Amino acid sequence: MSVRSAIDRRTFLKIGVTAAGGLLVSFSWPARAENGGGTALGAFVEIEPDGSVTIFSPRPEIGGGVKTSLAMMIAEELAVDWKTVKVRQPDRLDPKYLDQFTGGSGGVRDSWGDLRKAGAAARAVLVAAAAERWGVAASECRAEQGAVIHVASGRRLVYGELVKRASQLDLPKDPALKDPKDFRHVGKPTPTVDLAQIVTGRIAYGLDVRLPGMLHAVIERSPTFGGKVVHFDASRALAVPGVKKVVELPADRFALKSGRPIMVANGVAVVATSTWAAMKGRRALDVRWEPGPAAAESTRTLRGELERLTSGPPGQVLRNDGDVDAALAAAAKTLEAVYEAPFVEASPMEPVNCTALYRDGVCELWAPTQNPYNARSFAGTAVGLPQESWEKSVVVNMLRPGGGFGRRLDNDYVGEAAWLAKEVPGAPIQVVWTRGDELRHSLYRSTGYHRLRAGLDASGMPIAWSHHLASPSRYRYQHGESPPYDSEITPDDFPAQFIPNLRVGWSEAQSAVPRGYYRAMVPGANLFALECFLDEIAHAAGKDPLALRLALLGPDRAVKYGGYGGPVFDTGRLRRVLEIAAAKGDWGKPVRKGRARGIAGGFVFGSYVAAVAEVSVVRGGEVRVHRIVEAADCGTPVNPQGIAKQIEGGAIDGMNLALKLEITIDKGAVVQKSFAEYPLTRMREAPQIETHVVESAEAPSGIGEMAVPPAIGAIVNAVSAAAGKRVRKLPIRLA
Amino acid sequence: MARFTLTVNGRARPVNVAPETPLLWVLRDELDLTGTKYGCGEGQCGACTVHVDGAAIRSCVTPVSSVARQKITTIEGLSRDGSHPVQRAWIAEDVPQCGYCQPGQIMTAASLLAFRPKPTDAEIDDAMSGNICRCGTYPRIRKAIHRAAGLGAKKK
Repeated sequence: MSVRSAIDRRTFLKIGVTAAGGLLVSFSWPARAENGGGTALGAFVEIEPDGSVTIFSPRPEIGGGVKTSLAMMIAEELAVDWKTVKVRQPDRLDPKYLDQFTGGSGGVRDSWGDLRKAGAAARAVLVAAAAERWGVAASECRAEQGAVIHVASGRRLVYGELVKRASQLDLPKDPALKDPKDFRHVGKPTPTVDLAQIVTGRIAYGLDVRLPGMLHAVIERSPTFGGKVVHFDASRALAVPGVKKVVELPADRFALKSGRPIMVANGVAVVATSTWAAMKGRRALDVRWEPGPAAAESTRTLRGELERLTSGPPGQVLRNDGDVDAALAAAAKTLEAVYEAPFVEASPMEPVNCTALYRDGVCELWAPTQNPYNARSFAGTAVGLPQESWEKSVVVNMLRPGGGFGRRLDNDYVGEAAWLAKEVPGAPIQVVWTRGDELRHSLYRSTGYHRLRAGLDASGMPIAWSHHLASPSRYRYQHGESPPYDSEITPDDFPAQFIPNLRVGWSEAQSAVPRGYYRAMVPGANLFALECFLDEIAHAAGKDPLALRLALLGPDRAVKYGGYGGPVFDTGRLRRVLEIAAAKGDWGKPVRKGRARGIAGGFVFGSYVAAVAEVSVVRGGEVRVHRIVEAADCGTPVNPQGIAKQIEGGAIDGMNLALKLEITIDKGAVVQKSFAEYPLTRMREAPQIETHVVESAEAPSGIGEMAVPPAIGAIVNAVSAAAGKRVRKLPIRLA
Repeated sequence: MARFTLTVNGRARPVNVAPETPLLWVLRDELDLTGTKYGCGEGQCGACTVHVDGAAIRSCVTPVSSVARQKITTIEGLSRDGSHPVQRAWIAEDVPQCGYCQPGQIMTAASLLAFRPKPTDAEIDDAMSGNICRCGTYPRIRKAIHRAAGLGAKKK
């Protein structure tokens, strides 16, 4: 996900006192422009007089483990015993928490400096308070396991005894951070916080909000994108016991400041006293729709357009090294192939939902979202509150989302709930999407059609490369302006910079299908094309696919990388993970009869990853994935156990994308309505997954998405080898 | 509307709902037992799994009228304190990511172990393939079930 934060990173440490007399460490921070300006205090550490420590882990936990890893970073510098720490997520969106956004694999990476500082500043004043009590220099003392120790005398004071005085001292603005060799928590495999709450069903997700007098709503939306209600008859729906109200939800209602309507379908909402009554009422609705112009669109028509676009010159040339056409003409051998990725929908396990209450000019939300800032904008716009008032007039309560995968970066569902809440002022209303709603009315990772050409020299090395992608643009859809190129394709991705004549181009296709995010959105689609075409080249040249990659990468060095995760791409780090995955995944060794292996790697949002997959193709063309081995270098591994889990899950999501998921369009509407038609990987299909995380002292980079793209490439390359024919279209259909 | 007195987690719970209402929504909206999750409403994902007389069922496609006389157990009632062997094994293997599907996974696994105290991988596949985990925690679920079997998960 190419999500960039424009936040100014300057921080100013301040200090305050909690209600219980505890120490509270916070930064003041320039608010995001979207907040309407202003700064406030934030709080990450509370130490109560009884010595108990609470750490506030600011970013939404969508399953990637940030609640645990961010708290570990603070605890590390605070020098407390992890077992005594209580980790809490802030209840609300509040500028004092600096950044409550989860996306783009940025949680750990973007907090690494600031949250350690928060912990270190708190440690510094605790040490200062102890030193003062003993009448010694602070430099003679050290902190560990929740206590300050005077080294020479062995005297010891626990934090609880120091906190009152410490809270009266000025926090250092630039506290000394620990030497990484002294880390006790960072780098230690640490189980997820909240496990006990999760396994007993006590942890509350968005849909678990229960408020007095709460109403429930579901929405029947236009089956076609952009369709309109012509007429509806609510009488049968209103006759269902429990149904309170039926109301048309207008499209194009939630224009942001740019005036651009965003992502909310025209629909008819049924409001009831229970979820079931609302669902029953919805089934009793009689709605006539005007399908609108999107009815002319289908997957087939769009594919024809993509094919046409890539047959001509690209609309934008994003990179043009050397002379591609001359090199292709002079090549000893040329290859051309088309790689295709479909629209896909993120489908978090908890369907999107939001609970909202509108009362006396204040809109309060209980929003399971990855992006609460954006949730506030959508809600504030939907109910027509002035933007400068949002910090007070739109209250965002942070609920745990049941998965994100990019779907909860967009907050169309929050806007809908807020708008509906205004229709029933004073009553909280919970709007739930059914699975069918989720699949049919979402924002989708865009489809892409990649036309690739390569020219090889007499030794079989690629000397010319042309990559032309045609796709509908997410960026254009959401922002209405010319997309920056790296929102659709990243022109610095390997093998760019390693082939002398290389061109990357993009052509924009029109589509009525709303475009949003997916886990590893851009690399998931693009590295599939690159890594599989490279494999194809290796086979055509009679080279080993790993050896070809290593030969292209050449000696270890840093090159520039303009896309997300840059500015530097270190070839040695990619080489190393390729070699580890190959060694651990038995690359080049004999494989059991009927099976084949594939390899792929990549630079994903600042992390280096590679995978080897072992598959077989059974009769009827069904693919079985037996084993996936992934190696990753994501800088300092803050929580190796959390990283392993993200690789395991990312590998499974790679299977979803390689083998399963496809949203198709017929007459302007999504065809898939349920998990039966949109099948996610299940237990019996889950392979053996092995993870290898490189020890590193580099700053940590993202882990939530990195494992997906190489898994796709490795699976597709393995299937091509096993089937004896090249697979170029996702999801794989061999039959 | 119809009145039922359900037996949920060992307690008598009177409700007044339409008889075809799926058990899921009775648990969640009438009884505030929100540990049982909505994932698809069509019996395809298993997030709503509860036990009826010890057997795992999909509460989203089970009319409340059909279970009015049986013993219903939800994740909240699997153990008083999270000490069921499956729950302990889930913690030991650090299974959850987002966690949303896990109550359903745990209820299915607990039912499996009640009937097959030492399941094979194939039996785990058969029993667990009705439960989707979007985060892909399957390798850890498998390990946790074997671990729970070792802890002596017995019929509840």
